[in-house]
Amino acid sequence: MPEPAPERSALSAGSPVRRWLPWAALAVVVVTCLSIAAFGSTGTPTPQDRVAAIAKTIKCPTCSGESVAESNAPASQEIRADIAERVQNGQGDGDIRAYYAGRYGDAILLTPSASGVNALIWILPVVAFAVAVAGLVVVFRRWSGEAPAHASAADRALVEAALRREHEQAVEADDAHGEGSSR
Amino acid sequence: MNVALGRAGVTLGLAAAVLGAVTVVYGLVRKKPELVRLSRAYSVLVLLGGVVAFAAMEHALITRDFTVRYVYDNGSTKTPALYNFATLWGALEGSIILWGTILGGYLVAVVVKFRKRLDDPLVGWALATMLVVAGFFFFLLAGPANPFESVSPAPGYDGPGPNPLLQNHPLMAFHPPMLYLGYVGFTVPFAFAIAALVTGRVGEGWLLATRRWTLIAWGFLTVGIVLGSWWSYEVLGWGGYWAWDPVENASFMPWLTGTAYIHSVMVQERRGMLRVWNLSLLCATFALTILGTFITRSGVLESVHAFTESSIGPALLVFFSLIVLTTVGLIGWRGDRLRSPGRIDSPISREGAFLANNVLFGAFAFVVLMGTIFPLVIEAINDDRISVGTPYFNRMTIPLSLTLLFLMAVAPVLPWRKASGELLRHRLLWPAWIGAAAMVVGVALGARGVGAVLAFGFGGFAAGSAGRQIVLATRRQGWRGLVGRANGGMVVHIGVVVIAVAVAASGSFVRQAELTLEPGQSASFAGHTLTYEGQQVRDEGAKVVNQALIRIDGTGPWGPSLNKFANGSQTIGTPSVRSTLTDDVALSLIQVPDGDRTSITVRVTIQPLVIWLWIGGAVMALGTLLAVFPGRRRNPIDPVSAPLPGARAGRGPSGREGVAPRPGRADVDDERDAEEVPV
Repeated sequence: MPEPAPERSALSAGSPVRRWLPWAALAVVVVTCLSIAAFGSTGTPTPQDRVAAIAKTIKCPTCSGESVAESNAPASQEIRADIAERVQNGQGDGDIRAYYAGRYGDAILLTPSASGVNALIWILPVVAFAVAVAGLVVVFRRWSGEAPAHASAADRALVEAALRREHEQAVEADDAHGEGSSR
Repeated sequence: MNVALGRAGVTLGLAAAVLGAVTVVYGLVRKKPELVRLSRAYSVLVLLGGVVAFAAMEHALITRDFTVRYVYDNGSTKTPALYNFATLWGALEGSIILWGTILGGYLVAVVVKFRKRLDDPLVGWALATMLVVAGFFFFLLAGPANPFESVSPAPGYDGPGPNPLLQNHPLMAFHPPMLYLGYVGFTVPFAFAIAALVTGRVGEGWLLATRRWTLIAWGFLTVGIVLGSWWSYEVLGWGGYWAWDPVENASFMPWLTGTAYIHSVMVQERRGMLRVWNLSLLCATFALTILGTFITRSGVLESVHAFTESSIGPALLVFFSLIVLTTVGLIGWRGDRLRSPGRIDSPISREGAFLANNVLFGAFAFVVLMGTIFPLVIEAINDDRISVGTPYFNRMTIPLSLTLLFLMAVAPVLPWRKASGELLRHRLLWPAWIGAAAMVVGVALGARGVGAVLAFGFGGFAAGSAGRQIVLATRRQGWRGLVGRANGGMVVHIGVVVIAVAVAASGSFVRQAELTLEPGQSASFAGHTLTYEGQQVRDEGAKVVNQALIRIDGTGPWGPSLNKFANGSQTIGTPSVRSTLTDDVALSLIQVPDGDRTSITVRVTIQPLVIWLWIGGAVMALGTLLAVFPGRRRNPIDPVSAPLPGARAGRGPSGREGVAPRPGRADVDDERDAEEVPV
């Protein structure tokens, strides 16, 4: 066995204040950073940034599996230019997307709508995840409800006998495959 | 001649696989070990068949033998040598040759590794399973995807050559073979899982026997995916390396379930639990590689990477269904033996963390699967066409990824069974401060947005706790503290963190613009100055390259180009990227001078930290290698549950690489278990 862990003494040393102080300081740092990240100004997006952002959500009508932002097909270049014009004319992001959906059909938008059957694509993963987490919680509840099994002297004798038997067999047969299905 | 040779190879592979599978199964059922041992000869023959077919095809490609259908369709006298060699995996039929050959290689590797146990039913059934899989792929080559059909070309015929995108970057020579080594590699653990179910030896033996095989397959898949995104980045020219394209998703799904498996399998090795779950994960991983091939090769989904369409869709779908049905049936049949003993004491424990990992990876894979096949489902239901693209995947997977990063920070310091708050407080303090420091640095450098800053923070946190484990292990064991599964795993974790931070930074702080420049003109964008110097046109035989010479901040010149291929109508751009450790400036040419117009239009994409994606991938590969390297040797006869008085410590049965060790003897976590687990 390794030497007794030195952590033990370090862990219990100090008053609760001293123990929690580093974590409190850490929390302050993290909260400060996150608030700067969330509310700090990034400057208003330039028209070009907006064009790029919109183009990423619109599918290239003539190529396979690329967005307008990625594709260099003539149709995509036209749409990019058109988006730039619309941004310049002061149209909102949503309006521009709605225009393209109206012109080419919903399949031009890379974000599936959340209405009708299509909503399933948003709902199903969330439901599946929730069910999995709930299942884990239930299983842990059940496990923690059971009393942990304690080995009695009789159990230990049984294990000992079984191990000895297995050991002898292994030595005897020089059990080349060595993995009893019992384990 | 190439046609005959190739067909001979395919026939040999098919015959050896089918006969081998039948012989081995017959020998196993009738208990005739001499028949079972024939698997050795049959495996070698399968490999031989694959190698002959491979060599015949390469020979046909190199000599431009247009009487072979595949060369007729995909070869060209103008293709440079490297891309000509790589044409073998540039289209469907050829890639199946590669698949079959690699599978033959794995078969022989398994036969060599288990040469002393060939008549062991577990190994026998595993080899039979692999032979069946090999038989399927050689069947594809013999029938539905036959590359060796003969054609009689007109005199002077020259083929079109591979898709222009596939002859634009040397990574094409490495990415597909790596990916296939990964895909096909998962056949080995899958075959052993089937064998364990058939023989009823569903204990931990088969897990231990295939532990390294799984890691190696996983490592190849990881490298293949990273190389693939590098290829996209260098070739497609929009500054992107991942587009949630169906083909990319098809390689990512088995990676996700495989990653879940290599974590949860440790719970089973240690505690004997989660048997059904692990079997299901492994079989799902293998089935997803087949489903991925179906999705991407049958033409049911459109993709930027789907370079071929063919008629093998139905065959793949049938094979996929067969895998799923067989697995589910076998697990149901062996249900009684799979009931696992034991329980998990506390959610705040190593086991609990692995379970959480599995839920998250499972959800991740489910999201990717949904996003990939949902358009098909909708079209089938109400004939409606919808698109699911990057915005959907990002919105769904970013929260999952952040949670996984956080888990990656906490899990490595957790002991088995149960952790106390005190212990966590002590062990996580420094890693948490490293995370906080990463946040401060990020914010100070101007990063805004909660998602990105959280990614930096959790990334630093995870790197801190992985680093802590490595430091403790090397302090205790010297250089051996870097090898072995757990220690190598921590190196992999650091690689994942590097990639995660690079993805967060490059995705959140990308700047893109289209600039139109006259010769000699300069323009500034996002802190970089671009100067257009002039145009260059040259004929390279296979393509005419129209290049613009552009200086970035005085360096260069860099030469993004538009290439017109001799045999294709497409114009393909080759971007030019200036990579530095801090940011990448990618230029792709959109318009070249034409007629009166002397200006060019160039798209410039500036992204921070992109190079760290490839560095992170290399770190992951290195970590996998370290993890495969044998760690500290254990006495293989360590009793599982109780000390055995009176038994002399002898040489344990071979083939048992390690049994669940008693607390305090595990290869890495001496420190943890010694203090946490009452013996």
